[in-house]
Amino acid sequence: MKGFTFLLTLAIALPCRAAVDFSRDIQPILSENCYHCHGPDANHRKADLRLDDEKAAKTGKIILPGKANESELIHRIVSDDPDEVMPTPKSNRKLTDSQKKLLKQWIAEGANWGKHWAFEPVIRPKVPTGAKHPIDAFVRQKLAEVGLEPNPPARRETLVRRLSLDLIGLPPDPAEKSEPTALIEKLLSSVHFGERWAWEWLDAARYADTNGYQGDPERTMWPWRDWVVSAINANMPYDQFTVWQIAGDLLPNATEEQKIATGFNRNHMINGEGGRIAEETRVENVMDRVETTGTVWLGLTMQCTKCHDHKFDPLTMRDYYALYDAFNQTSEDGVARSGQAAPAMDLSTPDELERSKKAEAMVHAIANELDAFELKKFPRPAGRPLTESAAIDLPGNLPAYIAKTVPRNRGVDPLLEAIGYFKDKDSEYTKLLQRLLAAQREKLAAKNAVTKVMIMDTLPKLRETYQLEKGAYDKPTTTKVSFTTPAVLPPLADGAPKNRLGLAQWLVSRQNPLTARVTVNRFWQSIFGVGLVKTAEDFGVQGEVPPHRELLDWLAAEFMESGWDVKRLLRLIVTSETYQQSSEHVVRASARSEGVKKNGLKPELQTDPENRLLARGPRFRMPAWMLRDQALALSGLLNPKLGGPGVKPYQPEGIWEEATFGKKTYQQDHGEALYRRTLYVFWRRIVGPTLLFDNSTRQVCAVKTSRTNTPLHALVTLNDTTFVEAARVLSEKVLHLSGDDETHLKQAFQIVTHREPKADELGVLRRQLLALRQQAASGASKLLKVGEAKTDPALKPAEHAAWTSLCLMLLNLDEVVSKE
Amino acid sequence: MNAFEFQHQQLSRRALFGQGAVGIGSLALGSLMASQQPDPLAPALPHFAPKARRVIYLLQNGAPSHVDLFDYKPLLKQRHGMQIPESVVGGKRFSTMTGGQAARPVLGEITQFSRHGQSGATVSSFLPRIGAMADELCFIKSMHTTQVNHAPAITFLMTGGEQAGRPAMGAWLSYGLGSETEDLPAFVVMTSRDKEASCGQIFYDFYWGSGFLPSKYQGVKFRGSGDPVLYLSNPDGMSRELRRTMLDGLGELNAIKLRDHGDPETATRIAQYEMAYRMQSSVPELTDLSNEPKHILDMYGPDVLRQGSYAYNCLMARRLAERGVRFVQLMHAGWDQHRNLNTQLKIQCTDVDAPSAALVKDLKQRGLLEDTLVIWGGEFGRTPFLQGDITNTKQWGRDHHPYAFTIWMAGGGIRAGMTHGESDEFGFNAAKDKVHIHDLQATIMHLMGIDHERFTFRFQGRQFRLTDVHGEVVKPVLA
Repeated sequence: MKGFTFLLTLAIALPCRAAVDFSRDIQPILSENCYHCHGPDANHRKADLRLDDEKAAKTGKIILPGKANESELIHRIVSDDPDEVMPTPKSNRKLTDSQKKLLKQWIAEGANWGKHWAFEPVIRPKVPTGAKHPIDAFVRQKLAEVGLEPNPPARRETLVRRLSLDLIGLPPDPAEKSEPTALIEKLLSSVHFGERWAWEWLDAARYADTNGYQGDPERTMWPWRDWVVSAINANMPYDQFTVWQIAGDLLPNATEEQKIATGFNRNHMINGEGGRIAEETRVENVMDRVETTGTVWLGLTMQCTKCHDHKFDPLTMRDYYALYDAFNQTSEDGVARSGQAAPAMDLSTPDELERSKKAEAMVHAIANELDAFELKKFPRPAGRPLTESAAIDLPGNLPAYIAKTVPRNRGVDPLLEAIGYFKDKDSEYTKLLQRLLAAQREKLAAKNAVTKVMIMDTLPKLRETYQLEKGAYDKPTTTKVSFTTPAVLPPLADGAPKNRLGLAQWLVSRQNPLTARVTVNRFWQSIFGVGLVKTAEDFGVQGEVPPHRELLDWLAAEFMESGWDVKRLLRLIVTSETYQQSSEHVVRASARSEGVKKNGLKPELQTDPENRLLARGPRFRMPAWMLRDQALALSGLLNPKLGGPGVKPYQPEGIWEEATFGKKTYQQDHGEALYRRTLYVFWRRIVGPTLLFDNSTRQVCAVKTSRTNTPLHALVTLNDTTFVEAARVLSEKVLHLSGDDETHLKQAFQIVTHREPKADELGVLRRQLLALRQQAASGASKLLKVGEAKTDPALKPAEHAAWTSLCLMLLNLDEVVSKE
Repeated sequence: MNAFEFQHQQLSRRALFGQGAVGIGSLALGSLMASQQPDPLAPALPHFAPKARRVIYLLQNGAPSHVDLFDYKPLLKQRHGMQIPESVVGGKRFSTMTGGQAARPVLGEITQFSRHGQSGATVSSFLPRIGAMADELCFIKSMHTTQVNHAPAITFLMTGGEQAGRPAMGAWLSYGLGSETEDLPAFVVMTSRDKEASCGQIFYDFYWGSGFLPSKYQGVKFRGSGDPVLYLSNPDGMSRELRRTMLDGLGELNAIKLRDHGDPETATRIAQYEMAYRMQSSVPELTDLSNEPKHILDMYGPDVLRQGSYAYNCLMARRLAERGVRFVQLMHAGWDQHRNLNTQLKIQCTDVDAPSAALVKDLKQRGLLEDTLVIWGGEFGRTPFLQGDITNTKQWGRDHHPYAFTIWMAGGGIRAGMTHGESDEFGFNAAKDKVHIHDLQATIMHLMGIDHERFTFRFQGRQFRLTDVHGEVVKPVLA
């Protein structure tokens, strides 16, 4: 744990420093401790002092270059007087002695200023000598500085599994015999590659199959998701991938595909709560787009500037609303009628329309029956409406729901309330109401399943954008803003269109210092578990200065200059020795004691729990979606079909019902839909798939998923039907292979881990099998019924159950739930 | 040393979970949910001696009508049916349900108020048991908030932010203070709704989310039917003994892995699975009510044995508090009387009255109230004026109202038998000693021994806290 806290300051502690570097050493201190009151936010600046701007900071006596002891800044930070010392005790911030020393040294050396590193242009650094592969060259250089040696290469079978999980998100075929180099090419061209890399993009794009909020209506954005998978599979250059999604509709003669891609900016939640003001929702949606764009492409926390100038980064409210203006021009009106709010592209099929027509007719027929029934139930003069009957005296909402609403217009909520009221009073009437409810639900479901993809468009007459006071939709200020890019970053190219297209092209221009760095870092994070910049969501001055800054810059330059070639980038990473080394935790210190002495490193760093120094290969618990995909693949159940509407696999009963008060019923699929990849699992935004833990909730943009361990996670992989069924089917597969117990044990172990068991492991397995055999008989018939896959009746139930338990244990091994 | 010896030396369950947990055990435990330790990255807490060790938040989802239940304003009946003065309304915004309503006639309370106890608190006849407990309670009648719709207002109340994505109060507290139980989650959520099923507010998971805190701190929702914790039960046909055998094998193989590969995460994994096993028995023990005497069950009212009812959840809240759960967030929907004030409010009150009072009483008689903070209240109040048509009494209603509302608190560090703050004579605006949501949050933190300004988490480059940059501890309510 000490290592943890220590590593937070790794960026500062690491380099053996000759001279102080402003961006790496000084700015993080100033930003963390001073900018809150003496930073870019003019409205909250104290004492009219700013330390984020060189000119301002060097005016007066605050910072006198070369004269540390005469500088007011130094005087203030070392003061013992509580009224004088900075940061003020009230601020809950405190400088360490080494930070004070650094600031002193920096001023003494001339107080050289610099720009925040991530805002500097990406210049390709020279690759150090000492290794063939550029990644290794950068990593080895840093390791040498601290006196560490890299691990030896991972065992071949370990590497094969690692590559397969990383590149396609599935374990290798047990029969996989390709050499790693050939395997990499095979995986990069697999159709499953796009499925694997779509996952993080869907998290970033807050993709889901419903709107969220009250009513949580379904949407049909899956053609957008399928477009993402195919674009990744086709290795669409990332710059093009960006332009299509942000501004595909603005390209000349935009194709259907280019318009579908713009669904990216319609994937956010939509609040359709009763009483909700539509304009408030619309404004919230526009803000979501600004902030998502900020996070995904720029790694900037734009949301801070919604209400005030940024406290740390040189970003202003004006910058925020200048981006806002670009996203403020679609024809959406903020009314969340359904999950297919205009503008939407109609991709309906004849079957879908037919289903909808049928459902409509069914509602009509039952409504007629109800009309007839209610004529008797609520007698009134001939030809008069229900409002002139006893129905108007029903309690609660029922006069509105029943008396004032003719049957065919009664929706789900009114019917649920009516059924609740009449269920103990009039069973015949209740039955009719229930039939209408079922028909209305089908009508709604059918309507919502008619495929329409929400997309972006542009109003014929553009909206005027004003800065909003504290971001409140109903408090426009008089400051009118039109689209431009943040002032601190390079300007738009001359003649660039002043709209989303201009924005998109600017994001992926070679001059943009952020997009490539931020993108490369996200890929690195997926593979190594932690990004080169740990704060994948923040590349601003409060974000982490990467310990391997030159490596990041080199990769970013390489990525751009290769034509934003994603497969090339991934190939580059996975062919490095850094990636291919063993993930064992063994400290290999060539000159450990010297390293400690020379660089003032604490010994804890040598264990480097987060592997920031990259002296070992990556090892971490796989994401929950990958665990499910792995279990399906290992058992042979996996259905490799690509694309299409979301599927509904096993889920404990009553989850949707409880979350929606019975308004939404989970209708589990059957047959092969149960075994589709997790990417295709239907995502209800208010209550996501229950077996996914630690994932983004897909409510807002997320580029950094959390990795924790709780007993609840273990319960999923021990008890969820998918995993138990996979263990059962896997055991059947093993028992069908020829050979005795010993062979079967080896084979089962080999399938799940992709390696042979060691002697002591085999010993444990043998004893396990004996013990499980003794206990499995009693519940065998039940255990073998978990999941819908058929069981081979020729197998003895007790034996099959014992092996099922054994395989379930194997699927839960630390090694199996980890990418190693 | 072979793997076996290694496991027995290092990883026997006693070594892992016993009092003297050392080495791998404590390392592993430190990163698990149910750890007794606060997060290793959290600042050292508490800042000062806490008055309360745990919180039970009885969140009345949908917004109870303060002017019908607690905040007695004689003027409402006097002016019944007359327009509420524009000087009071002052261009404030309302939900679209009354935002466009031309007439805003004052609606007198539909209940009878009377004074209760030594403190003389005014409580409606709809809530007799809560009224009878008045001397244990502290009413705040000057609450106000910023949001006019349910989801943003509840999100604001529970997370300090109006949109999804910030950590809930319970997540902050379990992150900062750790847990007092190893067998149960530190932060438990339970939901229920009125029997009439009159309302449709959904319980969104971001009401108990962990936001940018590690996801192990998110609230664990106990379900209203079936297994209280998802995936708690072994698969059909797998006995507890069989599961034990399986986990023994798993532990041994993982120990070999740890020996050969050396990743401390593997030790965490071993502990994680053992805890899961223990939770499989501690949760059923928690929900087994067979030892609750009849007089206790009776106190909580007729629904107490119905899983998923408010009464059941209140009893469960006491049992969770007894077992050291840090934060219980109990949410009960059905307070959204837009059109059914006259027909539904009473039923709703009946559902809630006895169990709420019983919980306070039950905690008190067990000596738990001293260090358990109980809070009862909604996300906002309801309009003192009418929503609907004044001649149609059956469909009278009140709209959402953020400008004044009432909550009550009891227990850990709260001054019993007092009323703090006032609204104006219409019950429309908080008028005296106003308490903002951030003030309430600051006060809860204070009672837990935390200075809300100093309890921060760095995310996206900013030091975030529950109270954003606001909030003042409401000192007069402290004991």
